[in-house]
Amino acid sequence: MAEPPAWTCHPRGTTIDIAALLLPVLVFAPLAGSIAAICLPSRQGTEAAWLSGLVAFLCLGISVYLYLHVSHRGVIAWQVAWIPQYGLNLKLRMDGFSWMFSGLISAIGLLVVVYARYYMSSSDPVPRFFSLFLAFMSAMLGLVLSGNLILMAIFWEMTSIVSFLLIGYWYQNGQARDGARMALTVTATGGLCLLVGLMLIGHIVGSYDLDAVLSSGDAIRNHPLYLLALILILAGALTKSAQFPFHFWLPHAMAAPTPVSAYLHSATLVKAGIFLLTRFWPVMAGTDAWFWLVGLAGLTTLLLGAYFAIFQHDLKGLLAYSTISHLGLITVLLSLGSPVAAVAAIFHTLNHATFKASLFMAAGIIDHETGTRDMRRLSGLFRYMPHTATLAMVASASMAGVPLLNGFLSKEMFFAEAIETHKVNLLDTVTPYVATLASLFSVTYSIRFIHSVFFGPPPRDLPKVPHEPVRWMRVPVEFLVLACLIVGIVPSLTIGPLLHTAVEAVLKDDTPSYSLAMWHGWNLPLFMSIAALIGGVILYALMKSYLANSVEGPPYIRRLEGQRIFERVLVALSWRWARLVEAKAGTRRLQPQLRILAAASLFAAAIPLLHRGFQPADIVLRGIDPAFAFVWLIGMACAVGAAWQAKFHRLAALVLLGGAGLITCITFVWLSAPDLAVTQLLVEIVTTVLILLGLRWLPKRIEGATKPEEMTFGVRLRRLRDLLVAVACGLGLSLISYTVMTRQMPGTISSYFLERAYFEGGGTNVVNVTLVDFRGFDTFGEIAVLCIVALTVFALLLRFRPASDSLEKPMQQQVQNDFDDRHPDRSKGDSISDYLFVPTVIMRWMFPAIGMLSAYLFFRGHDLPGGGFAAGIAMSIGFILQYMAGGTRWVEERLRIHPLRWMSIGLLVSTATGLGSWALGYPFLTSTSRYLHLPLVGDVPLASAILFDLGVFSLVLGATVLILIALAHQSVRAPRAHIRAPRPSGTEAS
Amino acid sequence: MTVLDLPLWAALPVCILLLLGAGNALAGAIGLLRLKSFYARLHAPSLMTSGATILICLASMITFAVLQNRWIFHELAIIAFMMITTPVTLMMLGQAALYRDRAEGSKEVPHKEAGLREEAAVEE
Repeated sequence: MAEPPAWTCHPRGTTIDIAALLLPVLVFAPLAGSIAAICLPSRQGTEAAWLSGLVAFLCLGISVYLYLHVSHRGVIAWQVAWIPQYGLNLKLRMDGFSWMFSGLISAIGLLVVVYARYYMSSSDPVPRFFSLFLAFMSAMLGLVLSGNLILMAIFWEMTSIVSFLLIGYWYQNGQARDGARMALTVTATGGLCLLVGLMLIGHIVGSYDLDAVLSSGDAIRNHPLYLLALILILAGALTKSAQFPFHFWLPHAMAAPTPVSAYLHSATLVKAGIFLLTRFWPVMAGTDAWFWLVGLAGLTTLLLGAYFAIFQHDLKGLLAYSTISHLGLITVLLSLGSPVAAVAAIFHTLNHATFKASLFMAAGIIDHETGTRDMRRLSGLFRYMPHTATLAMVASASMAGVPLLNGFLSKEMFFAEAIETHKVNLLDTVTPYVATLASLFSVTYSIRFIHSVFFGPPPRDLPKVPHEPVRWMRVPVEFLVLACLIVGIVPSLTIGPLLHTAVEAVLKDDTPSYSLAMWHGWNLPLFMSIAALIGGVILYALMKSYLANSVEGPPYIRRLEGQRIFERVLVALSWRWARLVEAKAGTRRLQPQLRILAAASLFAAAIPLLHRGFQPADIVLRGIDPAFAFVWLIGMACAVGAAWQAKFHRLAALVLLGGAGLITCITFVWLSAPDLAVTQLLVEIVTTVLILLGLRWLPKRIEGATKPEEMTFGVRLRRLRDLLVAVACGLGLSLISYTVMTRQMPGTISSYFLERAYFEGGGTNVVNVTLVDFRGFDTFGEIAVLCIVALTVFALLLRFRPASDSLEKPMQQQVQNDFDDRHPDRSKGDSISDYLFVPTVIMRWMFPAIGMLSAYLFFRGHDLPGGGFAAGIAMSIGFILQYMAGGTRWVEERLRIHPLRWMSIGLLVSTATGLGSWALGYPFLTSTSRYLHLPLVGDVPLASAILFDLGVFSLVLGATVLILIALAHQSVRAPRAHIRAPRPSGTEAS
Repeated sequence: MTVLDLPLWAALPVCILLLLGAGNALAGAIGLLRLKSFYARLHAPSLMTSGATILICLASMITFAVLQNRWIFHELAIIAFMMITTPVTLMMLGQAALYRDRAEGSKEVPHKEAGLREEAAVEE
């Protein structure tokens, strides 16, 4: 039973392994239920509760059924290959231990659903609660059943995220938000550490498979990376299980609805850490590092949690700290490294889940029926709710470790283990004393819980008149308390076999002999228990009057709160330090940013090139066409001129830039690349116009610093440095490009494309066929990026607030409007429409012509220069002309311009084309082509890639027009009055 | 590049048209360089370049029609759009220059208010 039989992993042959097939059902049924529940209207809470109840019942049923298989076969496993190259498989695996947890999760889940049905108020969006609840259940089941380390980390993160949502369920409540955020920050940070730790383990073992990991304990313990992996995994487990010093998030998570607390903090979320520690116990425990790290955390938590719990006034706060303390107890047991202690840990995990879930539910009932959870206000409730009181008393007696209850059994085992000597050191020596003291405290807070709530004088001025809850709200508590009693009285007949299955799964051959009997004779653990019980009662009697009136929290160290430290750290990290870094290292001016960017890229390119011995190719000047050289000379002059004018005369720089672009375009024609030339020409036009539109919004020059008389040495030095950086970047880039382009081409794929373009892609334009067919997936990614860029530009310009000096209308417009205002027979805007009278007509009439051109470019694309991209850009030029001719308002009154829609349609069409080939059984984006004979027109090439190209067209058009209208709408928007600064005199419009 | 196999009867008009077109373009470029005022300079590139484009397009039409043995009309579209759009550019550049000169109060150009008054007088 120790080694899983091979056939369980791959059910093959005649027998269909139903048990293995039930594992994914167990994990994914709650997830499906969660999705179904969120679809319910927010008023249908009862339906959602029924749904969740059924799902939980199904899970419980499956768990019960699987017990037969697990106890018989040891391990059942189900797996599908997910990304097998990386050893990541969707593997679910159930052994006795994970069976115990899945039973616990689904059983307590079912009880909590019943409870929550009556607890939740109908004014809350109850389906959302149940949806999250089921999602959490799915995550927990996935975590305990995952048979792959990475999968485990994924489910671990899922529990963190869903618990965040559950704790913050009442998001209108500030405490709930803070508690949820804190829980997420702490547990997700731990989760990140855990992921790294699990990857280290995977690296050590050479496999992420849990079975492989569990069978290579010695390899892990003796590996040099063991300590690092241990610390990282402990960071994950201890944060999740709220162990000192990460315990502070748990009390704040009590802002969640009580059913959530009853579920998360008894049986599930906080037990995930315990689960992990126990899971890896056989392969990681037993070393000194484990003993010290786990033991110290556990012992501190055990004592501090119990001590803090005494001083809580909130019922749930008391239970939260008690949970922390009990988790500490389990951690201490796991730290000891002895098999019997591991048995006790597993046993206490079960027992704690039962009594703590029932206590949380009882606290919820009290809160629900009285309206408060403050123990100073509650008193004498026994006479109002005797039933609930009795149940709570039994459960808290179990928490205190009173004989005849299950809590007593595991506590006795704990004491017995505590007095054993495991390692000879200080920690081991103090353990029994700390254990007794913590147990004494736990007796005190249990008595306080019962005495202050149920006994004493009748309560005064409660928000509600207390009474017994509805019958079904009590049933889950009754059930759990009954379990406490039965397990406590006849352990070996009830829980014994189940526990043994779980223990055997963890310990395998090391399974010790242990006795679950209640009576072990007069021995030291019993005396420790008696001492703790008597001491606890005395302590409560002494502290009763202090507690009735004290402030919340333990004396003296009240202010030393984890939460404060946490918030301080957060504020320091995310606010002060961030601001400091921004102030010291950040700048809002473009020039330093560009300088850093250019210099960084220069170094990033130079270091590897120099390091690996970059040999620039010899520059050979041979066979140069004088005309071509002359053209290039002009281009270079344009480029240099643009750089020279960029600072002082933006318009001139832009014109020169356009000149350089045209030379590039001519170069493409010269070198027989008509496709590139067409695209370059169109792109050049569009970018020039768009930048022209943007020029008006650029801030004016900062006056003063660059006056000729102030050309100090420093300014000259800075400019020289900038020049050097720019020249170095440019030279380096040219050198690299030249070297790459003059290399002898080895057998590349370009010849492949040339040969196959027509026969396989069905087009003679190799560039276009490459774009839409061979490298269709690249193009797909590129258009998606284009989409993102356009949306980003749009979003940035949407929130754009121009500098105060460019808020006013440009001087030209002002002069024109003044002129129009001065003449009574003219209205505003007449001047501009006079100026543009004839051009406007021509520009408007050009729209259909440009549309035709675009269509022409599009349809010839597959065989001749053109294509979707060029067509889209051409079409957008048509729109730009309309905006220029008629103005924003005129165009948008007449044309339906929905660039976002065009973009999304484009992306959808491209995706659908790609998926279409999937539907026909080909890989993504496979295209077919044939010629279609049309009367009059003749043979029309028709490739499915043209649909893809249509998507490209639509997206490019949408993206360009989106940027255009984002710019155009700037001038339509009325700037807010209060940011209109007085216009500085003497500034010249660019 | 391969040597085009153009028959002599076609090569002659093509050569003449090409040379004329190139001469036009050159004249336009010289004009842009030599003419004195902006308004005068405007005409050189727009007029002469339009002419050059038309001539060269005609040459191209003949060449490829003969070579491919079919009628070709693509160039007609180029000529048509050239004829329509070049004046627009001319007009806009001229208007912008006029506007600027007026705004700067130059004596060289007629004042806008004067123009309006003349218009009004004509209407009366």
